[in-house]
Amino acid sequence: MRPILLQGHERALTQVKFSKEGDLIFSVSKDHLVCAWYSANGERFGAYKGHQGALWTVDVDPSTTLLATGAADSTMRLWEVRTGKLLKTWDYPTAVKRVEFSEDGKQLLALTEKRTGHLSNIYVYDINPDPEASQTEEPSLRITVDELPRVTVAGISCLSKYIVTGHEDGSISQWDAKTGELIHTAFSHDENQLVSDLQWSADRTYFITSSKDKTAKLHDTSSLEVLKTYVADTPLNSAAITPEPTQYVILGGGQAAMDVTTTSARQGKFEARFYHKVFEEEIGRVRGHFGPLNYVAVSPTGHCYCSGGEDGYVRVHHFDPPYFDFKFEVEREREQGLRF
Amino acid sequence: MAAASVQTPPARTDWAEDSEPDLATVLPPPQVTKNKDGTETIVTFFINEDGKKAKRTQRIRRTIVKKKENPRVAERRAWPKMGPEAGKPAGPRSDTTTLGENIIFRPVMGFKSGQQQEKAPEEDKKADALKKMQIKCRICSGDHFTTKCPFKDTMAPEGEAGSAAVDMDGGMGGGGEDAGGLGVGSSSYVPPHLRGKTGSGTGERMGGRERDDLATLRVTNVSEFAEEEDLRQMFERYGRVTRVFLAKDRDTGRAKGFAFVSYADRSDAARACEKMDGYGFGHLILRVEFAKKSTT
Repeated sequence: MRPILLQGHERALTQVKFSKEGDLIFSVSKDHLVCAWYSANGERFGAYKGHQGALWTVDVDPSTTLLATGAADSTMRLWEVRTGKLLKTWDYPTAVKRVEFSEDGKQLLALTEKRTGHLSNIYVYDINPDPEASQTEEPSLRITVDELPRVTVAGISCLSKYIVTGHEDGSISQWDAKTGELIHTAFSHDENQLVSDLQWSADRTYFITSSKDKTAKLHDTSSLEVLKTYVADTPLNSAAITPEPTQYVILGGGQAAMDVTTTSARQGKFEARFYHKVFEEEIGRVRGHFGPLNYVAVSPTGHCYCSGGEDGYVRVHHFDPPYFDFKFEVEREREQGLRF
Repeated sequence: MAAASVQTPPARTDWAEDSEPDLATVLPPPQVTKNKDGTETIVTFFINEDGKKAKRTQRIRRTIVKKKENPRVAERRAWPKMGPEAGKPAGPRSDTTTLGENIIFRPVMGFKSGQQQEKAPEEDKKADALKKMQIKCRICSGDHFTTKCPFKDTMAPEGEAGSAAVDMDGGMGGGGEDAGGLGVGSSSYVPPHLRGKTGSGTGERMGGRERDDLATLRVTNVSEFAEEEDLRQMFERYGRVTRVFLAKDRDTGRAKGFAFVSYADRSDAARACEKMDGYGFGHLILRVEFAKKSTT
């Protein structure tokens, strides 16, 4: 496969997202710019300008009409994907570290950072999917995370039932998305190793978390039980689950950005790692970045994935047939057993 | 698929056409005939840029490629670009989009992550070093050491080619004196077989036959399509040629671009050298000089 390099950003990428049909890629970086790309050929569709600080996060609603971004200028902004028009700006006391639309696109979650005396807050807004309509100023739910350590990542589960958060100390918490009550906390990652990413499976019934403790873990959404553990040899920044029919997870990471210049690209381990989702076994790596991978995202179609690196590049990879044909022996045996 | 376009020579310029240009503008309609093999032959008549009537015959095979696309994706593809990309033509632009080098990604069972990572740096370094250390012969640019070059007896390293003729004029001593001087005058060590090279210089070549390099010409800039026989014919004009050697690539069989021509007599060789240097052969200009004795 020949990766397509997207060079729209001048600084490190922080998040990349696919639209639901996998045809558009949205990338945000620390250079205040949001870019939209066609995944098929890497053509840049446009850019959304307006943020005054480093962008931390981006998400697009399931109909690909609205785009939400969160930045270090302490705002969350809502854009119309097609025209690039700024529809709404929400202001906060601290930076927005994570935004996420719910499955149906009717709710939008925003996570603000704990800093300078302000606590982490999770806001949930009811969103009107019509780009012409005015959006609400007031959140329908606000959770102030007081007792728990700093929240690093957050997401809304299937059916908008739970809110799941990952914390600085490696724990995962589950909240009721209606009342905002803390239901359960699981200490799944090593202590004091922050959870760097949380990505859902296609149906949001389970999710994967990556951590600086060099592992990624698959969790059940309702019980927070650790289903699978993928062990890597480098601190992880991101983890993604490939959609059916392939059963893989992709992990991205690498040495911390501050140590990068002291080592060679190979030792930095700036590779996307592929693991079998069920057998937890590593099956391959894809090289290319010359900085740590800050985010990996898989197209919901499963045909391609892209990674955003500290080096300022987004690399889009369209998978070759061997990727789809690969099966473990047991899988093959099972298939044959079913046939006869 | 296969669209062969045959353009007939312009219709004859007879008086009728010259005087009545209106007639030429009345063109017969294009004819479309279906062939047995599923192709179509389209014959069209048109006026070419010289103002003459021309006939074009095209054979076309139509294949229908069906592709399913999500209507929403198709709609988004048609969106006009916005922001900094507004108004730019469709298709990826080279300033924002480039293709990386091909990556072979083949999932394998039991991918050795940990071990490979620990071992890999050293191993890879070695392999890389080997790969990088491209052995290149200084004489014939082949992938062997210069000392192992089959032409080392007859040819100087390429870089020294320019001085070869001068050396020859000054006698064999030119190159040898330097080496010899090292052995005698300077304090640095010179291996025995290089000392006093003027005389033998053949210490390492045991039993190797000494070719008469005095009458051997080195011909460079030879067309890669040249044959030994061509060279022989060209060079035989100046005297009896005892040997023609044209270096050929082992894989492709094409000439490498240089050859050796040995004469029975040195005066013939000198004459040939003079005449043939700068001679146009094929699409290239030959360069002919005396073969210099190998210094290695």
